[in-house]
Amino acid sequence: MFRRIGRAFKEAWWGIRHHRAMVFSTVVTISITLAILSILGVLIANINQITYDIEEEIQVFVKIDNDVEEKDIEELQLKVSRISGVAGVVYSDADSELTYFIEQYGESGSIFEIYRDDNPLSRAFIVSVSTGFSISEVSKQIGTLDGIAEVNFGGFAIENFICLLGGIRKAGLVLALAIIPLAIYLIYNTIKITIHSRREEIGIMRLVGATNSYIRIPLVLEGIFIGIIGAILPCVGTVFGYQYFYEQMNGQLISGILKLVDVFPFTLYVSAILLAVGVFVGLIGSWWSATRSLRWKR
Amino acid sequence: MIVLENVSKIYKNGTKALNDFSLEIQDGEFVYIIGETGSGKSTLIKLLNGEEIPTKGRVLVNGTNVGRLRFGKVPLYRRKIGVVFQDYQLLKNKTVFDNIAFALEVINKSKEEVRKRVKEVLEIIDLANEFNSYPTELSGGQQQRVVIGRAIANNPSILICDEPTGNLDPRHSKEIIELLEKINRSGTTIIVVTHDYVLVDTYKKRTILLDNGSIVSDDSEGGYIHV
Repeated sequence: MFRRIGRAFKEAWWGIRHHRAMVFSTVVTISITLAILSILGVLIANINQITYDIEEEIQVFVKIDNDVEEKDIEELQLKVSRISGVAGVVYSDADSELTYFIEQYGESGSIFEIYRDDNPLSRAFIVSVSTGFSISEVSKQIGTLDGIAEVNFGGFAIENFICLLGGIRKAGLVLALAIIPLAIYLIYNTIKITIHSRREEIGIMRLVGATNSYIRIPLVLEGIFIGIIGAILPCVGTVFGYQYFYEQMNGQLISGILKLVDVFPFTLYVSAILLAVGVFVGLIGSWWSATRSLRWKR
Repeated sequence: MIVLENVSKIYKNGTKALNDFSLEIQDGEFVYIIGETGSGKSTLIKLLNGEEIPTKGRVLVNGTNVGRLRFGKVPLYRRKIGVVFQDYQLLKNKTVFDNIAFALEVINKSKEEVRKRVKEVLEIIDLANEFNSYPTELSGGQQQRVVIGRAIANNPSILICDEPTGNLDPRHSKEIIELLEKINRSGTTIIVVTHDYVLVDTYKKRTILLDNGSIVSDDSEGGYIHV
């Protein structure tokens, strides 16, 4: 068993050394593919983080009609919370609203204390939504309820921004999925060349009774090695490249609200994924090539 | 024992290689199969080797119906027969020792078993002194002996040789036939496919003459009809 594994590793390594030019070009292409995948991964993860942060921040401010009696507030709150897309509803009475208003103006806000006894502000619900995409729809539905005087949210700009981020995320995913078959195909061709250049040896193996798996395993290992070698540079690039970018941006994008994902352990996860993708494309590409080349010969 | 019962082989392109062909070869026999190009000799080897499946009939080798072998069983079957081709098919980057050992390594024999058997084979093929030489350092006859050595490394009960002397001069051809006779004396069935009539006339053995996929003559004394 160990002898067989040892032989398979030895032959796989032989294949790599003897087809250096082809292996090098495949490794370079796999590296580029995985680097693109890494950039897309980093982009998607940060979009997720930014979207999450925005969704955490955005709230719908719902003014309650002055005619609504205190005893009906709870029922109205329940109605709002039942609307699809509503994540939470917090009631704020007129007094709390005034306190919040005063706090926003800092020290000079104290001049508004004169309204404490004759408060012109309305009672309100502070509604948080489950996803940013639904904010306008949720606002619209809250507005249709009896007892609601006014509904305010950050405006369509926020919703559009979240939609844009969602679009970029989807496009990134599609692109990432589309380039993986390309990497597989490249390894497929490399192994095909290996098989062609070793056809004499493979022919002799067949002649003396080697099983297909005996012939195939070193070829598959060779593909996996190529995938791993191709993944090394993108992994290193991801850790150091993202760290550099993070430091240059001070861990945030545009403003403090849009925070970047922390370097660790995020880059290690991305590297692990790149390595796994490298192994996967190596395995699939070489298995496919070896199986196709060996299948029709008895 | 090899038995071919009413075997026909028609290739996908319509070529009829063997036509209702029947043959029986006993254990330990030495048989020449002769005939012109296209007579069906190569197809016969491919059928015996499990490389091709008969269109009709049965090919039985030591009781195994070769045509019915499942794909995964073919390699196991091949370990029981040795095949030698005209073009030496040696791995140029391996020594004589390694070329012979290769046949044992691919069937997962232990290092000790490989070493022991290769030494025995080197003695049989009379190349013990050349164990560390590379194929390019050997003569054609020596290379063919290495190929025969590799084919018998697994102790096959049958050794099939396709034009084993095709690229050799008469002196080396004689050496090869004498080696095959030596192997035959140990009980191995030898089938030599050739169109070297000088060889057939010199070393009289059972001779089967093929023409157009059929047996024209089969003479245990080595006689045949000139077509």
